[in-house]
Amino acid sequence: MLIGSLILFLGFTVLLLLGAPLGVALGAAGTAVILTEGLGIMSVPTNVYAGLAKYPLLALPVFILAGMIFERAGVALRIVNFTSALVGNRRGGQGIVAVLVCMLLGGMSGSGPADAAAVAMVMIPGMAKQGYPRAFSASLIAAAGSTAILIPPSIAFIVYSILVPTASVPALFAAGFIPGMLAGLALIIPVLYLSLREGWGAQSVEEKIPVWQSFKEASWGLLAPVIILGGLRSGVFTPTEAAVVAVFYGLFVGLVVYRSLSWRDVYNVLVVSAEISAVVMIIISLAGVFAHAGSTLGAFDAFAHTLIGITSAEWLMLAMIMIMLLIAGMLLDAVSIFLVFLPILIPIANAFHWDLVWFGVLMTMNMAIGQFTPPMAVNLMVTSRIAGISIESTVQWVMWFVVSMLLALTLVAAMPQLALWLPQTLGY
Amino acid sequence: MAHRSRLSMNEHPDQAGHSGPDHPRIPVGIEEFFAALAMALICLITFANVLVRYFTDESFAFTEEFSVFLMVVLTFFGASAAFAKNVHIRVSFFVDKLKPALAHKIEIGVMMIALVLFAIIAGYGVRLLLDDWNYETTSPGIGIPQWIYTLWLPLLAALIDLRIAGRLVRLLRHKIS
Repeated sequence: MLIGSLILFLGFTVLLLLGAPLGVALGAAGTAVILTEGLGIMSVPTNVYAGLAKYPLLALPVFILAGMIFERAGVALRIVNFTSALVGNRRGGQGIVAVLVCMLLGGMSGSGPADAAAVAMVMIPGMAKQGYPRAFSASLIAAAGSTAILIPPSIAFIVYSILVPTASVPALFAAGFIPGMLAGLALIIPVLYLSLREGWGAQSVEEKIPVWQSFKEASWGLLAPVIILGGLRSGVFTPTEAAVVAVFYGLFVGLVVYRSLSWRDVYNVLVVSAEISAVVMIIISLAGVFAHAGSTLGAFDAFAHTLIGITSAEWLMLAMIMIMLLIAGMLLDAVSIFLVFLPILIPIANAFHWDLVWFGVLMTMNMAIGQFTPPMAVNLMVTSRIAGISIESTVQWVMWFVVSMLLALTLVAAMPQLALWLPQTLGY
Repeated sequence: MAHRSRLSMNEHPDQAGHSGPDHPRIPVGIEEFFAALAMALICLITFANVLVRYFTDESFAFTEEFSVFLMVVLTFFGASAAFAKNVHIRVSFFVDKLKPALAHKIEIGVMMIALVLFAIIAGYGVRLLLDDWNYETTSPGIGIPQWIYTLWLPLLAALIDLRIAGRLVRLLRHKIS
């Protein structure tokens, strides 16, 4: 068993660090163990299929598609206009708009880098005219975009729920809401402080947009989160159905209302979103082999108990897990981290009687921070490229947001009710 | 997610043109088409289910089985295209710091492991198919023969293996001095 566990964990780690596609690293390590320990080779194809063929997972590709349709339909631009009109021209105004827009878009799509890219393209040039340094804008939008995986609907929560069935998707969505708001607030405070100190956004360059007109244009986009979350809340739709309704609503807005989409665009969106989903789901599929090998061997439990043996202090264990996840979050996306770490972390969480919904929110917050922490930050890479600056130049600004988001994370860790109050009130 | 940045980078091909290891000769448009088709069908079936339930109080929830199957098809076609274009999620942070010649050798090794892995899935997938055929297993939802679904696992795993093999050939040809 010890040899098998070594092959499993070491084999996976070595392959991962050598740059093997994550799914291949998981699948190959799992298969190697199944072969050497004689666990029955037929479990490889069986688990490849079974790891994937789960109804709740259908929500993942469809939410990715929905988010992409809203993005291509030009919803982001109209929401930026509306929030700008609402916030007005004042110091730090555009910075706050960027945070609010990212959070609103997070209520339509479930992934950070896509939101960050859409908002960065629309907002960075205008913010530069008002005196915000490009490096600051890129840092801010990268950080704000990362709240998307906390604010429902979230791809990360869907995958967490697949792996931890006792935490239902609606419960996780509800639990992410207040921490998501808290994360947004944690960004707005440093924006205000820095803008007042540096005098950004004091002079108005662009003409004023009338609030009412911009509201009318943006209202179609603003309705999307209402439909998705309202449908889920009332129990009318399963998460997958809510996502599909969002897809058709987005198509209606793009093809009929804004007339910003052509049928050619629709085909392209289908292709790109199918491919992005496939890249995530093939990992989920091959992780099925890894998980089967590890749990049959008892390797995950053994590893978890070794870790628990190091310390029985609850807060120390939690802090260790958070630091480990933060580092992992700099290298990998949230979905991949869940697949790799959850088999080990769930026995630990159970040993300490942690609430698994709360634990999922904490993990996701960690990964949100990892998405914009240099040097390996996915969101920051996207926004820096759009802003035309180096990642190094963002460090002096982005660290403000890293620190304030870490404070928000600590708050949710210390007060589980921040996450759990809403799902309990809604009765999940 | 890490692959998104890679995707958009591929929209601006570098000076090397279309001859590098990331540019397959057989167009990936074929896989892209079937992945997009599966995605569209999933949406249409699920939406039809919502409409029917709303207007008639009846549910054809058994279609879930077919949607889940379409998701498997979508994943394998999409993953095949992603192998050809080299856009899978991976940690390139450490390999990028190595000498290009060494990184190139490592990439060849990694692709060979991927080739073996999908060969195992395809090969034993055939045995899974034969089991379902011989025991006349029927699907739990609609009750059609299970092999109609299982058939696609070895087929699509073999397709992925062809794409990996193609990438290996291009890697071996593309010598780095």
